[in-house]
Amino acid sequence: MKILDIAIKDMTRSFRSTFALMFMFGVPLVMTGMFYLMFGNSSNNPQGFSVPVTKVVVANLDTGGAAFDAIKGQFPGGQQANSMGDVILATLQEKGFASLMEISLADSAESARADVDNQKAGVALIIPADFSQQFSDLNGQATIGLYKDPTLTIGPGIVQSILSQFMDNISGAKIAVDVYIKQTGSSDPAQIGQVVSQYTASIATGDPTSALLDIQPTTSTPQPVNMLMTVVAPIMGWLTIFYAFYTGASTAQSILREDEDGTLPRLFTTPTGHSTILGGKFLAVGLTVLVQMTVLLILGRLLFGFSWGAFVPLALVTVGTMLAAATFGIFINSLLKSTKQAGLIFGGLLTLLGIVGGLPVFAAGSSSVDTLAKVSLIEPVGWAVQGLLKVMKGGQVQDLLLTFGVLAAWSVVFFVVGVLRFQKRYA
Amino acid sequence: MGHSIRSDQMGVKSVLGVVPQEIALYEDMSPRENLNFWGKMYGLRGAELKTRVDEVLDIIGLTDRAKEYVKKYSGGMKRRVNIGVALLHKPQVIYMDEPTVGIDPQSRRNILDSVVSLKNQGMTVLYTTHYMEEAQELSDHIAIMDAGKMIAFGTEEELVKIVGQMDRITLTINAESVRVLEAWKNAPGVKQVTAQDGTLTVLADDSNQVLPRLFETAAASGVRITSVAIQEPNLEAVFLHLTGKALRD
Repeated sequence: MKILDIAIKDMTRSFRSTFALMFMFGVPLVMTGMFYLMFGNSSNNPQGFSVPVTKVVVANLDTGGAAFDAIKGQFPGGQQANSMGDVILATLQEKGFASLMEISLADSAESARADVDNQKAGVALIIPADFSQQFSDLNGQATIGLYKDPTLTIGPGIVQSILSQFMDNISGAKIAVDVYIKQTGSSDPAQIGQVVSQYTASIATGDPTSALLDIQPTTSTPQPVNMLMTVVAPIMGWLTIFYAFYTGASTAQSILREDEDGTLPRLFTTPTGHSTILGGKFLAVGLTVLVQMTVLLILGRLLFGFSWGAFVPLALVTVGTMLAAATFGIFINSLLKSTKQAGLIFGGLLTLLGIVGGLPVFAAGSSSVDTLAKVSLIEPVGWAVQGLLKVMKGGQVQDLLLTFGVLAAWSVVFFVVGVLRFQKRYA
Repeated sequence: MGHSIRSDQMGVKSVLGVVPQEIALYEDMSPRENLNFWGKMYGLRGAELKTRVDEVLDIIGLTDRAKEYVKKYSGGMKRRVNIGVALLHKPQVIYMDEPTVGIDPQSRRNILDSVVSLKNQGMTVLYTTHYMEEAQELSDHIAIMDAGKMIAFGTEEELVKIVGQMDRITLTINAESVRVLEAWKNAPGVKQVTAQDGTLTVLADDSNQVLPRLFETAAASGVRITSVAIQEPNLEAVFLHLTGKALRD
């Protein structure tokens, strides 16, 4: 009973502290709110995140020529084309790109650039008059001019990427022809046309229109990318865990603070056992962290609409994190001689643990995420963060058993070392 | 009291109330909350706890301000709560470590009256202080400690007898004390002379006989006495006699 009395007293004091409340709830919520506002547009869109349609103005000045006429039949839709520029234009106007680009035509390069300058279009493509000629010439340099609005990033990037793939395939075809001529010594346009045809067929993936450009038509309703759940929610999850560890350390610091304030020595003069006193204080740390995490997760749901996953796996991760955070607080404070040391230790160590543990969140989407995720597992914050991410992605209890087990193991180590050190100090 | 300090520490603690020298309270809690918590630590529960908390608040005179946080209290009020905590479980022995340090005269008076009241209720009060007048006023028995050792113990009367019926003369002079120290030590009737912080303290059998000699000696040394105070034998004189030095913190 006295254990509970001590725990309730400590929790009462914690929740009366404006400073503690600010770090327990204020900072994580404010930081999440900032990210929420940053991604506000996409979050407010019930369809989730979508790439805006880019207006592309094309000045197709390509005049074609005899060389192109000789091989045009080998290109998808080439029979109707008068030039390679027409082929490119037809490709960009494919249905598959309709959600990405809105194509319009310009009479001249100047006119196309003017459209971009006047913000009537985001990107201008200028296909020069000798494009087909250069393409047909094995030694020629077929280039397309791309003029873009510097304030735009995503749309022009997509257009540039599409064109790059197109041009890479053209280069491939030219290399194939070059090899053919060198091996056979023949420069018969009909034969060359067949080589191009075979090349385009070899890279085709079923749909002949994708011979030069690998267009992947969608076979189902596109799944919108929900930035709220893929970016902001993991950040709040990480903040919740990071500040849980901070709260664990800060709340456990009350042992040192009470020692310095004289209330702990006074407690020892009462008919209350040392183990009861320390047990009560440990219980307070655990309960405070549990309350903090629960409130933050609930507020994340209510304020930002985050879905944390199924209840039981979430509870498992929450309890595991609470145990690790609380016992870590006891452990780290048992190493300190006074509260004066706490600021430096807490600031440095907890920040380091938080950053390492948050690597899977920060690196999400990057090629190095798997490696960084493994690195983060060297410490408990990393396990807790990855456990929560698993739950958010639909993980069930059986998927979380290892995470819980590791967090529990960390807790046992922290608790045993911390308790032994405190008992030795206050024996 | 029936409890062994070796085998029954909890039993000893249950009959002992401790008032530490420093304020040992939770300042972000009210006096009532503090008393409730500490009462629970002494094993009080339910109606008994509530009754005792109300009684103690009444004893320390803070019933009207029982809901304010302790941090808003004056030093004297905090001291009273600090004492109140030790009274909750009606201990048989209460240990008070300099409970009147650094507080205003009114609060000090209040605390001293409380101690007398506790004594009159039959409680054993172990009171440490540097103020000899407090020891004289409150104590049935006095122990004098120096450098961690008890060097004398007895009633006030018994202790005063240690220095006999000597008067204590306190003088200040307008020069360095070394100019008169040796001469005064050798003056007839003088038993002891000590100097500290520009003040000289002389223990003598009869101050009326000794004082003229002190003035003469001082004049002969070209030193002028600027103030004189004469005290009948008391505990401070006993302390001075036993330790050879005046009381200090």
